[in-house]
Amino acid sequence: MTRPWVVLALPLLAVGCQKPVKPGDPLGELSRAERDRFDRGKVVFDSVFTPETGLGPLFNATGCGECHENPAGGRGDEVEVHATAFHAPVCDPLAQEGGPVIQQHTTPALKQALGIDQEPFPPSATARAMRTSPVIFGRGLLDLVPDSVLLAYADPDDRNHDGVRGRPNRFVDGRIGRFGRKGFVPTLREFNAGAFAAEMSVTNPAQPTEEDVGGKPPPAGVDPAPDPEINQEQLDLTDDFVRFLAPPTPLKLGKDGRHGRDLFSQIGCATCHIPTLRTGYSPVQALSNREFAAYSDLLLHDMGADLADICLGLATPADFRTEPLLDLRGAEHFLHDGRATTLEQAIELHGGEGSGARDRFKGLPAADRAALVAFLKSL
Amino acid sequence: MRRTIRTAALTAILLLPLVISAPADWGALTSAQPAPSYTYQGTVRAVNARAGTLELITGVGMSLRVVRVKTAPTTRLLAGLKPGDVVRAECRRTPAGLVADRVEKLEVGAR
Repeated sequence: MTRPWVVLALPLLAVGCQKPVKPGDPLGELSRAERDRFDRGKVVFDSVFTPETGLGPLFNATGCGECHENPAGGRGDEVEVHATAFHAPVCDPLAQEGGPVIQQHTTPALKQALGIDQEPFPPSATARAMRTSPVIFGRGLLDLVPDSVLLAYADPDDRNHDGVRGRPNRFVDGRIGRFGRKGFVPTLREFNAGAFAAEMSVTNPAQPTEEDVGGKPPPAGVDPAPDPEINQEQLDLTDDFVRFLAPPTPLKLGKDGRHGRDLFSQIGCATCHIPTLRTGYSPVQALSNREFAAYSDLLLHDMGADLADICLGLATPADFRTEPLLDLRGAEHFLHDGRATTLEQAIELHGGEGSGARDRFKGLPAADRAALVAFLKSL
Repeated sequence: MRRTIRTAALTAILLLPLVISAPADWGALTSAQPAPSYTYQGTVRAVNARAGTLELITGVGMSLRVVRVKTAPTTRLLAGLKPGDVVRAECRRTPAGLVADRVEKLEVGAR
């Protein structure tokens, strides 16, 4: 008679006792081989490059872990410089002048050859943007949300008259983008391979040519490492490490936090910060057909003139992709450039399509505002 | 004998510029190896059909480049190729720069 209860209770007990995922943990349910790739990828991710092993001649950081160090590969506190030229409605990513990422350091050999300490700011740029290092937890899940889901949330003509539009960005080749603060890059694999090249000037099979110096090839002799400076296996392992980083488990909500979660939806935050998304098929079981807490629609929204900086792809200077709200409790700075030091400030700086929810937040009694912030701090 | 020496000297003088301008890797020239080929996939930034030139934005993620290619006289630029089109260009490096032997327009799919 007791046996059926035991059979039912054991799985429930197991779910209840599941260890919470900490920042830096891999996804649960990885196979042994996938877990091995995660561990080996972390070694490449934590590598420090030198000019002899591929660093530079221009760079922002000496390794992935320099910007994503705090803790275990998730987030960082560095701020970098981006620039593009906006000639409405066309955005020029300044590929002919070295691309939108302006590297802030040079190797000693490049400094000796050209006498520069950083990449020259492109003369054709119409705007400069500051960018904090993005959180990289849960990116493998975001990568697998089908384009059709993003398109289903888009409402470029505001047909439902809620003041919130939302449209996908597109890469230079027309594919739908989702990674980066402007949602410009279509896939995680490309984002990672591009980061090796743009942040460290480490050439790889996906980007086998060296980073330009203001649009010109680096002078001969300043880059001693043969291209590509990392091989396909190193690139794939790093990609798997990032892909398999799990989103940290939200903290358990108290009464206030639960009330804050309800308010989050009621005042309209959840219109763009969609609480859950679902992945499509993946050969990696831990990523395949999973519902997960994303708090994003991965679409562009006009956030108002005060936050506007550069254009990128179809994103105008005021357009930003809805930031996925993952690991907020670990953050010390908020928004794309880290200008907000509290969550209240970040909400109050929302403009444009976010101004309705912002105004409703500001209109809440102090206790309700605190409850909503308590909910956000659980993420 | 004197005629032979004069002929040899004249030949040497005529061949001298060729020797001076020859690549350092003389073996590469004489081994008749084909020029290395490069395949670029990118988005057309500018096209000048009359001049036979093409500028492509290539790259990955936030790392973008512009590649400038010329087309060989035998290469037909696709009719109506315009900025924003996505192409694959099969190129070889020549002293005059990259020359595309084949330019193919691609369709971009959704995920």
